[in-house]
Amino acid sequence: MTYGEFAAVRGVSFDVHDGDLVTIIGANGAGKSTILRSVMGLLRPRAGKILFRGEDITAEPGYLRARRGISLVPEGRRILPDLTVEENLRLGTYVLQDAGEVAAELERAYSLFPQLRARARQRGKTLSGGEQQMLAIARALVGRPRLLLLDEVSLGLMPTLVEQTFQTIKELYRQGATILLVEQNARMALSVATRGYVLETGTITLSGTAAELAADPKVKRAYLGG
Amino acid sequence: MIWQQIANGIATGAVYALTTLGLTMVYGVLRVLHVAHAGVYALGAYVGLWAFRATGSFWLSLVAAMAACALAGLLIERFLYAPLLHLPRIIPLIASIGLFIAMEEAFRIVAGPYALAYDAEVRFGSLALGPLRLTGPQTLILTVTLVLLGLLWLLLSRSKVGLAMRATAMDAEITSSFGVNTRAIIALNFLIGSAMAGAAGALIGVYDNQVWPTMGSVPAYKCLAIVVLGGLGNIPGSVLASFLIGLAETLLIGIVAIPFPRDALAFVAMILVLMFRPYGLLGKG
Repeated sequence: MTYGEFAAVRGVSFDVHDGDLVTIIGANGAGKSTILRSVMGLLRPRAGKILFRGEDITAEPGYLRARRGISLVPEGRRILPDLTVEENLRLGTYVLQDAGEVAAELERAYSLFPQLRARARQRGKTLSGGEQQMLAIARALVGRPRLLLLDEVSLGLMPTLVEQTFQTIKELYRQGATILLVEQNARMALSVATRGYVLETGTITLSGTAAELAADPKVKRAYLGG
Repeated sequence: MIWQQIANGIATGAVYALTTLGLTMVYGVLRVLHVAHAGVYALGAYVGLWAFRATGSFWLSLVAAMAACALAGLLIERFLYAPLLHLPRIIPLIASIGLFIAMEEAFRIVAGPYALAYDAEVRFGSLALGPLRLTGPQTLILTVTLVLLGLLWLLLSRSKVGLAMRATAMDAEITSSFGVNTRAIIALNFLIGSAMAGAAGALIGVYDNQVWPTMGSVPAYKCLAIVVLGGLGNIPGSVLASFLIGLAETLLIGIVAIPFPRDALAFVAMILVLMFRPYGLLGKG
């Protein structure tokens, strides 16, 4: 998988390979969400190209990219407030055709997040912040994405839940998911990722394996509080 | 006497519900007050009348009215609203008012300024529920309304498309990220809402036995009041508000016989409800 010559932000270019867990770290307002929203197709880049599995999808609207297997856990979770937990998950399975497949995916989501099963008939807006985050992740997974985009999943969560969420992400990666993770919490992001990019005010200033980035003195100073 | 007024109120409320639904559905997905919807309602009455004259069948004329209005709704979405949606919402609103006036004038030019008779004889049994007696035409209106509302409810609550419709009304952008073609869903809202208004126009044309160019004028603003009363974009709320206003109008004016313009009642009710529930009867705070 390649996203080449990606200029939605400014000359930003990066790749995510199959089965990789890549992170883009950077401060608030560096343009991280813009990148994810452009990959999902919710924003049109003014210039540049987005390639997915070798095909140019730059001009394609978001719903067609979803059908190709791109899936987003958006910043702020964006749970549909008046749909039940189960209906939110069913929306996540919209791209699946077979009813048996849908049932199997719902079951998988419920066993991954047992709290959601207990609240299946509750409206989305009645969930706590942590539960909404679980629902947002589960909702993005049940469509069997090839590429999972995670936007600031740690934002607004209690530290224990952040830990738990990143354990889940790591688990998904181990099971073979391809993940692009955008995070302000650089320490957590680099602890689970294989490779990373550092984004500063709209341009990528550094890239490398997660271990290289975590050891870089500039990254340490700016993002890891050391 | 009071039961007769209640029967009148139920029939009136049913027509309000059918007309208002389209407005609610369009507001739900576009956040635009679709004033021209009342023109679609009048179009339904005219198409129904012409189809009835051509075929002699009320049922065929009802289907023709719904089909023509569904098409009109699709065209309005495609050519009036879609190009204007990136602009401030006041622009599509003004365009909608302009289209509504143009439609009224078009009806006047094509069909003449006078009321035309839509004297379809519909054999439909009257209905007695205890002391409440609905005449044949009233039973017809109520039956068609309940069948259409029931079908809409089934679609929205039981089908995949219905789930996509509800989700699109809540957050179109995120809904599209799950593979839903939200532009098609918006068009579907126009199609269904306009077909309902077409049914309402044909039913009221037969019920009052007249069709005239400005028959949409009063519904145009009254339905806005009902939509606000029910909670903007809230479908059950607008159905509830429709029946409440229909009943309140006929009961207050028919029984109390106060010298009060009937059509103002919806607005008085809207003002009163908004004073205590700013988001409408079933709206969310």
